[in-house]
Parts: sequence; C-alpha cells; structure tokens
Amino acid sequence: MRESARETYANLSPVKPVVEVVDLHKSFGALEVLKGVSFDVQEGDVLSVIGASGSGKSTLLRCLNHLEQPTSGEIYIAGEPMGFRISKGRRRADSQANISRMRMEIGMVFQQFNLWPHMTVLGNVMEAPERVRGLSAAEAREVAIFFLDKVGLLDKRDEYPARLSGGQQQRVAIARALAMRPKVMLFDEATSSLDPELTGEVLDVMRALADDGMTMMVVTHEMGFAREVSDRVIFLHNGLIEEEGPPAELFERPRSERLRQFLSKILH
Amino acid sequence: MSLENLRLALDVSVFWEYRRLLLAGLAVNFYVFALAAVLAIALGFPACLLRLHRWRPLQWLGTGYAEFFRNTPEYVFLIWVHFVLPLLISALIATKVNFPPLLSAVLALGFSYSGYFTETFRAGILAVPRGHLEAGRALGMPRRLILWRITLPQAARQMLPEAMNQLVSLFKATSIISLITVPDIMYQVVQITSTEMKPLPLYSSAAFVYFLVIFAMSTLVRWVTEGWRTRGWA
Repeated sequence: MRESARETYANLSPVKPVVEVVDLHKSFGALEVLKGVSFDVQEGDVLSVIGASGSGKSTLLRCLNHLEQPTSGEIYIAGEPMGFRISKGRRRADSQANISRMRMEIGMVFQQFNLWPHMTVLGNVMEAPERVRGLSAAEAREVAIFFLDKVGLLDKRDEYPARLSGGQQQRVAIARALAMRPKVMLFDEATSSLDPELTGEVLDVMRALADDGMTMMVVTHEMGFAREVSDRVIFLHNGLIEEEGPPAELFERPRSERLRQFLSKILH
Repeated sequence: MSLENLRLALDVSVFWEYRRLLLAGLAVNFYVFALAAVLAIALGFPACLLRLHRWRPLQWLGTGYAEFFRNTPEYVFLIWVHFVLPLLISALIATKVNFPPLLSAVLALGFSYSGYFTETFRAGILAVPRGHLEAGRALGMPRRLILWRITLPQAARQMLPEAMNQLVSLFKATSIISLITVPDIMYQVVQITSTEMKPLPLYSSAAFVYFLVIFAMSTLVRWVTEGWRTRGWA
C-alpha cells in the first residue's frame, strides 16, 4: 500500500523529494531504536525532528547517510536509493564507493563539531572539495573562502580549530559541509554541546541557510528554532513518529498526550 | 689494595688512550640502532594495520605477531637468531648459511622492537576520536583517504612521544650485541680490558658514554614533545 501511495505521489509531482524514507527500522542487537519510520522532505523545506533523548532522533539522521546501517526499510536521496540497489528484482547492499558518492550530496553537522585538529580552518573546509570532489587546490580554496565568509569566519581561516570557540568551530563545520554543495543538510543536535551564549551565533547561521532555500533536517532541543524556522516538525517517540505537521499546529494544538507531556516538560 | 682497585676502576685516562677504538665501537652501536629502528618501524606499521583490520583472521595474525616479539626477551632472541635461525634455514634450503653478527643484531633488535612499535602505533590510531572519522565518511571520503589524511597525521602526533621513548630503549638494548661479537663499544671495552690485564678500568667509561648518549636522547625527546604540547599537538 505504501508502495502504491509513493508511486501515485511521484506521478502527481514532477519534483522528487530530496529525502524520502519508507518504513525505516534500525536495531542495535536486541534493542529496536527505529520501528518503522516514513516521511519525506521536499526541496527547500526545513524539517525539525524533536523528541526525548533515546527516542531515536540521532539514529534516524545517521541512517540517512549510512553512518548507521538501517536494519530494513528504504531511503532515497533525490530519488536515488541510498545504500541498496535493486538488480533482477532483488535488493542487495550497495558498494562502498556508491555510498561514499551519495554522501557527497548529504551534508552533516555533528554535536561535537568534529573538525580535524591538525588542519587549519581553511584546510578543514578545502579538504573534501579538493580530494573527494576533485577540484583543483585553487578552486577548492575559492569555494572554502566563499563559505567561510558566509558563516562569518573568513578572518579565522589560518587558525587551528583548537583556537576557536565552540560556536566558531561549529560554524566552520557548517561551512565544511556546505563546501561540498550538498542537496540536503543534516544537523545532529548542532547546538547541544555549546554554552548557552554561543548557541545564538550557530542558530543564526542555520536560519540564514534556511532563508537561502537550503533543504534541511534538524534534530534539535531548541524548540524556539524548530517553531520559527521549520516548515514541518516530526515528534519522535520510542522509535515511531507520534505526530507530525506544521510547527504552529504541533506546538499550539498537540493532539497526542505524549507530545503534550513532552512540550510541557521542555517548555517549563 | 681495594682503594687502588677503585682508583683504577674510575681512571678515565685509559678511556682517552683508547678513544679511537671506543668511538668506533659507539659508531657501530649507532649503526645497528639506526638499521634496527628502520626495520622495527617498517614491520610494526603493517603489523598494526593487521591488528586493526576488519577481518578477524588478519587481526589474530597481527596480534600474534606483536605478542610473540613483545614477550620474548631481546637477549634470548638475539642468541636464537644468531645461532639457531641459520641452522633452520640451512636445513630448509640444504645449503650452509651463516649470519654475520651485524646482520643478526639488526634482525633480532628490529623484529623484537617491531612488536613494541605495533602496540605504540595501534594506541596512537585508536586515540583518534571516532567523530573525526565519521566527519570524513559523511563528506564522502573513502576509507583509504580517511586513513592517510585524518587518522595517520593525528595518530603520528599522538604516538610520537611514546615512539621516541621506544627508540631510546632500543638504543639501550644495543648494549647486548657484543654477546654475538658485534664490535660495539662494550665489545671494545671487553677486548681492551683483557689485553691490558687491568680488570675494570674501562667499564666506568663505557657506562658514562652510554649515560651521556641516552640522556641526550631522552632530553631531546622531552624537549621536542614539550614543544608539540604547547602547540596543542600531542
């Protein structure tokens, strides 16, 4: 039934969703973290994923670029299957090379920034465009400078990450992901390990990205951000989508008791 | 009488008299040290990659290798390489083989220390935070590129202090090679002592020379790694 719904949708709309997830399951040993999650993200949309810790938000995001391998289900990035191929009617795991190639289209920003400490800020941002996309050093440098300027850190290009504040490091990490010109950006609790006074600068960069029309999926505890910036919000509970909709609806008129409880806990 | 012996034992003038021979001996120590160090690193690095390989049997192979050499005393191994290994090879290829002492010394110390280097490299690689590798994977970097661009440069800085300590102790270990008649400094001392018929005069000098060299090396290690630390590298 799912299948036919998707086909109908595809026929109606000439534009494929940037991210499409169908019945995604993920288990770690006996523990089932995702229990059948389906949704899609249209081009230019910002989708926020909220939920208590342990609800599977980060795992969901990490499955999209195969940092975690889904147990079952399907993921499509711009219509192309992620991590599997169908040949002769059978599904089989895709090659590492193909998975790497598709990861280029999916930018990811981590809670812990994960900048490479032995490279300068510029080096961090240039690395993948030069060695993965295959740009010349000069071109990669140009791209890196463009995006460092965009996150307001051009003057820090020759510093090493250890010299930067957490907020600055995270902005560099965003520039690093953007420099690959991805089709979608994933933010995995990008502000959760920052001091409160530093979250603002990172959220501002994310807001500006959304305004530029970047397709984004944001796992966050920042309800203010989710409410103002998202086009849609998903509330994840125990590995399932408990409720989804436009932020105004979700935050003003939560239908499920669990979302009501979650919101009252987090907003008070 | 015992005071006279003590004076002789500490008499450095003999050292001056034989300085050329002794320095030639020290040069042999450095020579063996350098070759053994290159061998140890050249063997330790691939062994470490085996230990960290995804495929279990290769992991076991790497682990077995490292454990074997780490748990065999260098002295015993040196004797074994020099006297037993040539016999084994001779039996295998049915031709008589002999190892020159210098070759045995380099092989024995090189293999022995490759076990320690395997562990040092492994610790350095494992110390690189997982998130740094995930950032690379998320950007579409293939495994090999991540190894060369992200893991190894960071691991190198992480393990350099420890690797340099291993080198210092490798130099110390070269003091046993006189046992298989490699003409190192200890060998010269023993030779001179036996011809001069003075029981102890040169041992103190030899001890002092070793101390000077090793102290200089350790100081250099401390000095260099301190510099890295202040730059936030190690």
